[in-house]
Amino acid sequence: MSEKVLIIGAGPAGLEAARTVADLGYTAVMVEKRDRVGGTPDEFHYAQLTHHFRDSEEAMNELAAAATASANVELLTSSQVAALEGEVGNLTATIQNGSGSKNIEAGAVILATGFQHFDPGRETQYYNYYSFPDVITIADLEGMLKAHQVVRPSTGQPPERVAFIQCVGSRDRQIGNEFCSKVCCGIASKQAIEIRQQLPDSRVMIFYIDMRMYGYWENELYWPAQEQYRVNYVKGLVSEILPKGDRLLVRGEDTTMGRPMEVVLDLVVLSVGMEPSAGTRAMAATLNIEQNKYGFVAAGGSTRIDPVATSRPGIFVVGAASGPADLDDTFSSAGLAAARAIAAIRRAG
Amino acid sequence: MPEWTLGKVTNKYPDVPYEEKERLFLETKADPRYPGYIYGCYECGICVSACPSARFYDYSPRVIAQAMAREDVERFYEIMVEDICNCAQCFSCVRCPRQNNPGGLVTIIREMAVRNGVQEARDVLQGYTRVIYKVMLKGNQVSPDMLQPDFFPDWGPWVAGFKGNMKAWRQAIPVDTLRGVTDAAWRTDDETLRELYTIWFETGNIDIIQEVDEGLYDLLVDVMEEELEEWE
Repeated sequence: MSEKVLIIGAGPAGLEAARTVADLGYTAVMVEKRDRVGGTPDEFHYAQLTHHFRDSEEAMNELAAAATASANVELLTSSQVAALEGEVGNLTATIQNGSGSKNIEAGAVILATGFQHFDPGRETQYYNYYSFPDVITIADLEGMLKAHQVVRPSTGQPPERVAFIQCVGSRDRQIGNEFCSKVCCGIASKQAIEIRQQLPDSRVMIFYIDMRMYGYWENELYWPAQEQYRVNYVKGLVSEILPKGDRLLVRGEDTTMGRPMEVVLDLVVLSVGMEPSAGTRAMAATLNIEQNKYGFVAAGGSTRIDPVATSRPGIFVVGAASGPADLDDTFSSAGLAAARAIAAIRRAG
Repeated sequence: MPEWTLGKVTNKYPDVPYEEKERLFLETKADPRYPGYIYGCYECGICVSACPSARFYDYSPRVIAQAMAREDVERFYEIMVEDICNCAQCFSCVRCPRQNNPGGLVTIIREMAVRNGVQEARDVLQGYTRVIYKVMLKGNQVSPDMLQPDFFPDWGPWVAGFKGNMKAWRQAIPVDTLRGVTDAAWRTDDETLRELYTIWFETGNIDIIQEVDEGLYDLLVDVMEEELEEWE
């Protein structure tokens, strides 16, 4: 019998789950593959968080400090879970790091291994991402925004005309990702605002299928982008990007105006969606829990309505490991999973 | 053509230099009413579904709001030349969830077209010389008994009833005005006329007429100056 909660992944979801477990008076052991905490926002140098424009590094540092400062949280970096045996309340995890492996006893597990950005080179060479230096992704752009160095990679000069293309790697039967990645509409709008703030002479447009600006994203992101920052939203996706001199020509249909369109641009940003991270796929197999057809961890449990339950009692999933999630979703599920994990341990005891 | 403009060559009026179209566009945007008339456009189409003109003509208040929100100068010019006269200025379009006012944009663009003597505005107004003449000299144009149910479908199903019994309805109004037929609607008292003419001169309205129709301007000024002099 163990009262420890094993948390796999030390990104926003894992850190928040660890902090909550500790705050509730239990012990968390966090296992992180990288040599540092912070997850994808840290790895990709996110600039400001969607939707409230908080500085990402500052917010993540605060979260990491709150989680790791607790005496109830043990952090194992550069480590991975190789195996998990036993039942809820009585689990044994094999942890591997560079110098060998060791066993850890735990009562419950929270899986927080997150997502990876869709690779525009997967299967087809989407929009010539790997051929044209001035075609980048929203993940690439985060780093530029953080450094206040939004430039065309081909010239090192700031772009005058920028366009985002939405739903790259999402909502596409051809790719096999039929789902909406949920956050890219908000992120593209946030980034469009940031570009206009950093480069006031620039013009920015967003090519979209539907703008999914649920809840307050509408008034916090979409309206300001359109009304205050004069970002142009055009319903219609780009079919191809061609070189035009040293710039890019994009082709598509302006569907609401009912006519074909061609625009010459300096920088094209692909709003790549979310896919399960390599860690999520690997851990789902190691923990022997169900995955959905896209490789995310199947959440819902036996009731189908519990967003953090997995197919295996005592194993919980949080954040983007179970599907596209924003930070609000991630924090909500992390707190819930912490409570559920402790409840499972108490019930087993 | 500026590279930002969407559309595969949308320049329908190549004889007008881009700079002139842009000047008209910027002047429209500079109107103090403009910021309150256009925020952003969802392209939801509720303005079109509410628009009586859109049911009869190839006219879309959405395209007007959208073109302005997108700052599409070429489309703006097309609107100024082709579309603004299709708007009945009924403002049904103001039910927009973003609180845009496409009809208000049309108001501004119309004024801009007239004030700048845009040829198409002159052409359109040519057919209305008599209307302008009447409105400016008498203060009104349409009298109630001119109502034709077929031409006013947006007035609802009651128009036919009113039309059929117009005389009785007018007689029922206890005030001694507008009781007669067409000519009575144009019997305006002298003091009202003098005030009206003074307004046309003081507001510069008459100068706008001069911009689009010199002949009409001369005609109006003759009548109005005579009336005002007589009064003094």
